[in-house]
Amino acid sequence: MKKRGVGYGSMFYGLGYGFSRTDIASATLALNQDGSIIARSGEVEYGQGSDTVFCQIIAEELGVDYIAIKLITADTDVTPDSGPTSASRLTFVGGNAFIKVSRSLKKLLHGVAEEILGENDLVFREGMVFSRSDPEKSISFKKLAGEAYARGVPAVVTEWYNNTTHDVDPETGQGDAYATYCWATQMAEVEVDTETGKVEVLRIVAVTDVGKALNPLNCEAQIEGGVAQGLGYALEEEIKEEGGYVKTETLGEYMIPTSLDVPPIEVHLLEVAEPKGPYGAKGVGEPALIPTPPAVLNAVRDALGLRIHKLPANLENVYQLIHGEEAGN
Amino acid sequence: MKAARKVIMVKVQVKTILKMTVNGEPVEVAVDPTWTLLRVIREELGLTGTKEGCGIGDCGACTVLMEGKPVNSCLVLALQAEGKEVRTVEGLGTEENLDPLQESFIKYGAVQCGFCTPGMLISARALLDKNPHPTTEEIKVAISGNLCRCTGYVKIIQAIQQAAQQG
Amino acid sequence: MQSYEYYAPRSLPEALEYLAENTGNCRIIAGGTDLIPALRKEDIHPAHLLNILEIVEARGISETGETVRIGAITTFNDLADSELIRKEFPLLAEMALLVGGPQTRNRGTIGGNISSAAPAADGLPVLLSLDAELELSSRRGKRSLPLNEAITKAWTPAWDDDEMITAIKVNKLPPGTRTKFYKLARRKALARSRMTISLILRSGSGGEIEELRFVPGSVMPVPRRMEEVEKLLTGKVPTDELLDRAARAVGEEMVKVTGIRWSTGYKKPVLGNLFRIVLRQLITAG
Repeated sequence: MKKRGVGYGSMFYGLGYGFSRTDIASATLALNQDGSIIARSGEVEYGQGSDTVFCQIIAEELGVDYIAIKLITADTDVTPDSGPTSASRLTFVGGNAFIKVSRSLKKLLHGVAEEILGENDLVFREGMVFSRSDPEKSISFKKLAGEAYARGVPAVVTEWYNNTTHDVDPETGQGDAYATYCWATQMAEVEVDTETGKVEVLRIVAVTDVGKALNPLNCEAQIEGGVAQGLGYALEEEIKEEGGYVKTETLGEYMIPTSLDVPPIEVHLLEVAEPKGPYGAKGVGEPALIPTPPAVLNAVRDALGLRIHKLPANLENVYQLIHGEEAGN
Repeated sequence: MKAARKVIMVKVQVKTILKMTVNGEPVEVAVDPTWTLLRVIREELGLTGTKEGCGIGDCGACTVLMEGKPVNSCLVLALQAEGKEVRTVEGLGTEENLDPLQESFIKYGAVQCGFCTPGMLISARALLDKNPHPTTEEIKVAISGNLCRCTGYVKIIQAIQQAAQQG
Repeated sequence: MQSYEYYAPRSLPEALEYLAENTGNCRIIAGGTDLIPALRKEDIHPAHLLNILEIVEARGISETGETVRIGAITTFNDLADSELIRKEFPLLAEMALLVGGPQTRNRGTIGGNISSAAPAADGLPVLLSLDAELELSSRRGKRSLPLNEAITKAWTPAWDDDEMITAIKVNKLPPGTRTKFYKLARRKALARSRMTISLILRSGSGGEIEELRFVPGSVMPVPRRMEEVEKLLTGKVPTDELLDRAARAVGEEMVKVTGIRWSTGYKKPVLGNLFRIVLRQLITAG
């Protein structure tokens, strides 16, 4: 018999290290005389899109083409320490460092532009620097870079952003452990086959508050990947060990979802601006996957009227849940 | 009729010349009979687009086309590719002239860490060459031998759909 | 470290000569999906490796009258794509489409699958339900061996070291026969079968079961037809009560062979459930 159920999982997740643990990010910008920019920072881009977002931030602040930025990350020979790439902290802590350093460079260039244009309220946009009140009074960013060089204005700037929080009260446990939190809820619809213990996930809907989606496509992509990971965690992934040896040593034995195992995923990005975040942004790395297992397992409970306490909710464990101790294993 | 090759077994393994076509070009390379096609592609030919994820056919990161069919190159002995046509991701498109699938993957955000990407592109190319207008289910089956941990496959499937629609 | 002599002949006589000259020291490689991981893990150390993928005589699917001949190096995708197989033995094509993933289906061969004699090899139960015969060739000649005599012990083919499978022969089923293959696995691709069902059914005009062949897969060291269960149902109209009884008998038959193992608590009832589900599907499809 096939039984259907719907379940929800909600979470909030502190970004960064919290609890007064050191949490800083640094960034350096070097402006070349031809207007190109070399940026350096210690964060690791492994496909989550941090390099993209950092370039977007520099481009946004300085009005330059994002493609004209050369970003070097995670090279301990030349990049300033930005702490580990973890805790879903890069957009928030790293992004803030990039805003700070971009604004510092902008301030230097603003001074030079003021001298040249005779105006002191300037806009940096689309490769140009122009007076807000009289846009005809303008200079290209490229030319401005050359002028700064000619005037001996040092165009290499490093800034850092300190996200270290206070600790909570050791007695009461109360306080702001983290600078900010990400919030998410997911809904899962499942169908359980009571004759085999197979759980089929029919649909996932994910609503995630990311503060501001600096790159909506990448936010969605992260969440979709996280959901798939959460499905594997809930339903199939299991490390088996025997006498200290890992038995599930291969990708054939430790099973992650294939393309045929991932159901339709609907992603909604909620943007409730975080005042401390870069343009209101928070983070989404880990929040992507955290609500998925509880949503799926709650849906299984809804379908069966029974709650599973043994993960993963695979064939044997679900069958045993339904049919009792002698069944399953 | 080829005569049986008799080799005097000494401690040093004698290499054999392998002749095959890779990305349209004839290739001749000396190989150890124990080498896989994957190893030859990456180490001898320097075509490092094809990745080794597991080496035992469980992940698809090493997928190449052999005689037009997607295979795990880690499960093909190099010498089994004798006389065959092999196509790797480098043979799909160049930086100046990307394969429509490559363009689509970029446009629709289908690349995160990129490790599964070459294998995905090859499997997708094989699919579209045989079936230019696949259903979503057919796309999913075509890439079901390529594991991805980053994307949940969503934008990969979308990118393949879009590339199919375009042309 | 592996070190072997590699030989890839284009004709069968050359291959058989090589096999005879190096008996006991020679492994055959076709798709390599089992063999290459075994070589990599250093489970085996053959002095000789014989690649049979270029042998013309081991290729192709053809029919002669009522017999279909499937070349040993036919890949799973070849089986799935073959109109002849889809028409005459649908469950064989169904099984082929569910093995591994697209890449392994382009390399893995039916001959290799049988030769592994692995308890979870999907080709075996399907071909046993079809009463398949192996065409075995050696320098000494050619012979036929029923598949159920060719594999009698897990992981150990019963034919001689100097023999190789050149083809699998299957007789067409009588008109009106329906077939079904079902695979239960932990995920929908790249997964070993947890349990499989191979069913062949022919019903009479009154709904009574004229012929039933059932081979469960991945539940015993060596798959075989569950004749006791088949007998329970043959000649009868399959009522719900009878199907339930048969499902229970399936589990009991399995345990008679395997004894109680860690997985029995799950496999015993579920195998019976799957049998009943798939048989019902076949009955109503008619």
